[in-house]
Amino acid sequence: MQLIEKLTILADAAKYDASCASSGAPKRSSKGKDGIGSTNGMGICHSYTPDGRCVALLKILLTNFCLYDCQYCINRRSSDVPRARFTPEEVVTLTLDFYKRNCISGLFLSSGIIRSADYTMEQLIRVAKLLRQEHQFRGYIHLKTIPDAAPELIAEAGLYADRLSVNIELPTETSLVRLAPEKNVGSIHQAMHSIHLGEREAKEERRAPRFAPAGQSTQMIVGADATDDSTILHNAQSLYHDYRLRRVYYSAFSPIPQSPKTVPFEAPPLLREHRLYQADFLMRGYGFSATELLAGPGNLALDIDPKLAWALANRAQFPVDLNRADESLIARVPGIGVLSARRLGALRRERRIRYEDLTRLRCVLEKAKPFIVTQDYRPPRAEHESVVLRQQLRDTPAQMALW
Amino acid sequence: MHSLRFDGSFATWRQAARRALLQGLAPHQLQWLDEEAPPSLFDQPAEGAPEPSGRLRVSPELLDLLESAAQYRGDERWSLLYRVLWRFVQGERSAVLAGDPDGSELHRRLKAVRREAHHLHAFVRFQPCKIPDAPDFVAWFEPAHDILASASGHFAERLGKHSWLIATPRDGVYWDGQHLQHERRCPAQWQAWAQQPEDDGQALWRAYYGSTFNPARLNRTVMQQHLPLRFWKHLPEGPLIPQLMSEARAGAQRDGQALVLAGRKGKRIAQINEGDAARPPSASVSGSDAPDLPR
Repeated sequence: MQLIEKLTILADAAKYDASCASSGAPKRSSKGKDGIGSTNGMGICHSYTPDGRCVALLKILLTNFCLYDCQYCINRRSSDVPRARFTPEEVVTLTLDFYKRNCISGLFLSSGIIRSADYTMEQLIRVAKLLRQEHQFRGYIHLKTIPDAAPELIAEAGLYADRLSVNIELPTETSLVRLAPEKNVGSIHQAMHSIHLGEREAKEERRAPRFAPAGQSTQMIVGADATDDSTILHNAQSLYHDYRLRRVYYSAFSPIPQSPKTVPFEAPPLLREHRLYQADFLMRGYGFSATELLAGPGNLALDIDPKLAWALANRAQFPVDLNRADESLIARVPGIGVLSARRLGALRRERRIRYEDLTRLRCVLEKAKPFIVTQDYRPPRAEHESVVLRQQLRDTPAQMALW
Repeated sequence: MHSLRFDGSFATWRQAARRALLQGLAPHQLQWLDEEAPPSLFDQPAEGAPEPSGRLRVSPELLDLLESAAQYRGDERWSLLYRVLWRFVQGERSAVLAGDPDGSELHRRLKAVRREAHHLHAFVRFQPCKIPDAPDFVAWFEPAHDILASASGHFAERLGKHSWLIATPRDGVYWDGQHLQHERRCPAQWQAWAQQPEDDGQALWRAYYGSTFNPARLNRTVMQQHLPLRFWKHLPEGPLIPQLMSEARAGAQRDGQALVLAGRKGKRIAQINEGDAARPPSASVSGSDAPDLPR
C-alpha cells in the first residue's frame, strides 16, 4: 500500500480524538545542533480545517487494526472500514518532512490495540524513541497511553513524550461497560495514576529521569450515551484534582459510518460541547467549582454561557464595584475576562475606573452592564429580574451550522 | 509644524524622538515622515540643527513596548508612539495602560503585531529547494506588519543546521546556519527562489489535511476567524478548503468519515480467541496489511 493511502486512512481513523495541544513542553532549541525541532511552551496551530479545529500536530494512528469493539469508535473490530498500518520508520519520515515544511509542531501518535496492550504500547514507544534518539527530534511528541500497558512501559513512554494521555472515553462506568466492553475504568485510572506518579517523581527528585513535562490529558465523548453535563463536569473536576490533568477534552460524538444501534446517529451536539469547554475553562482559570456551575443534575443552558448563568443565579453578589472589588470577583462578572480584570486592577492604581474604560479594554459591555458599578455608572435596571435579563442577554439562537 | 523625515527604522525614530523631546516639541507640533511618506515641499532637513543637550530617562520596558508597537503598519504609526512617550515623560504614566485612550490604541497595535508574529510562525510553509547556492528551505510570506526581522529567529531554533530564507514583497531574512541576515528590501534572487513551483511533497500534506477534517462538524466561521482568508493562497492546503467545505455542505457526508474513504471496501476483524492472544510475535508483520491478528 502506498504511503499516501495509509496516511489517508490513518488520519481519518485518528481524528475523533479532539486533543491537538502542542503547549506546555519545556524550552528546547536545535539552533546550531544536529537534528531539528524546538518547543517553547507555547503551542502553535499551523492550520485549521473547515470544522474550525486546529492542526498543530500530525495526528495519526500507527494502525487502525483493533481487537476491541468500542461501539462509538470507527475503528472497532466490527467496523467495515479500510485498514492500514504504518511502519515506525514511515511515521518518522512523515513527521520530519511535515515538520521541516512547518506544517506541524510535532506528532500525536495513537494506535488500535493489536496483539496485546503491551505490544501496542511498545510500538508507540519505538516511534518516539526513533525520533528522539536516531533523529534528535526536539519537537513535540504526544503519545496515547494504552490503559492496560505495564507501568514500566508508561515510564519509558514518559522519557520521550512531552505529553501522555489516557482516554476516559465515557463519563460513567455503566456507559463504559455497555459501549466499550473490553475497557475497564479501573485500569484507565490506574494508568492515569502511574503517569501522575511519574510526573511527581520527575518534579520532586532532581536526578529522576525526565517524564512527560507537558503532563497528561484525557478525552470524554459527549452525546454517545445519556450522561448529563453535571456528571461530566463533576467527573472532570475530580480528574483535575486526583491526577493533576492539564486538560480534559470533550468530544461531541460524531456519527460514524455503519453506526451500530447502540449509539445515536445524529449530528454531533456542537453547542453542548462548546458550553462544556466554557464551563471547563471557568473551572481551570477562574476558580469556579463544578457545583457552582451546575448544582443539581442536568445540563448547562444552551442559550446563555455558563458564566452568565452563574451570575443570573447569584444576583446577591452583584452589582460589583469595579473600583473596590477583588480582581477575582471582577473576573466573575460576565463579559469581563481574567486579563481585563487584571488590567482594571492596574488602571485603578492610577485613577478611578470609569465606564468608558471598559470600552477601551474591549469588555463585552452588553453582558457586563447589569452587573457592574463604576465611578460614573450604576445599572439602572439592577432590580430587573433574572428571567428578564436572560431574555435580553441570550445568544442569538443561531444553531451552529449542521447539515 | 516640524516635519521630521527619517528612514522608517525604529533606531532612527528613537534618535529623532529623543531630540524632539529635549527641544520640548509637543506631539501636535510634529509630523513624522518615514520612507513611505511622499516628499513634501516643506520638508526640513533634520540635520543642521544643533544637538540639544539634556538628560532623558525612559525605562527599557517602555522602549521595548514602543519598539514592538513600531512594527505596526497603519496610520499615525509614529505619531502615536511619540504621544505616548511625550505623555509618559511628562509624568502621565497611565498613557501606556490599556484603559487609557492612547494606551488602548498602543495595546491594540501590540496585540496585532504579536498576532502577526504568531501567524508567521504558524502559516509560513517551507519547501525544500534543490537549486545550487540556494538555501535548503525557502518560503514566501506576506505579513501585514513588519514582524519578519524580530520574529524569524524562531525558525533557526526549529530547523537546526539547515539554511533557509523567507522572502516577502518588502523585506527578507536569510539564515545560513549560523547568522540571520535581514534585508529591508528583499533581494530579487531571494524572491525568485522563494516563488518556486510547488514540489511533489505537498500532496502528502494535502492528503493528511483532507482526512483529518471532520465533515460532520463543518464550521466555517470559527475556521476563518483563526485562519484568515488572506493566508489561504500561500498554503498548500488552501485550494482544498473551499472544495472540502462544499462537499461537506452538499450533504454527501452524514458522518465524520473523509469523502475519499466513504464506501470503500473495508475489513472487519474476527473476534479474538483466548489462545490467539498469546501467539508469539511473527517476524514479518511490519507494514503488512493485516498484521498480528488472528484470522
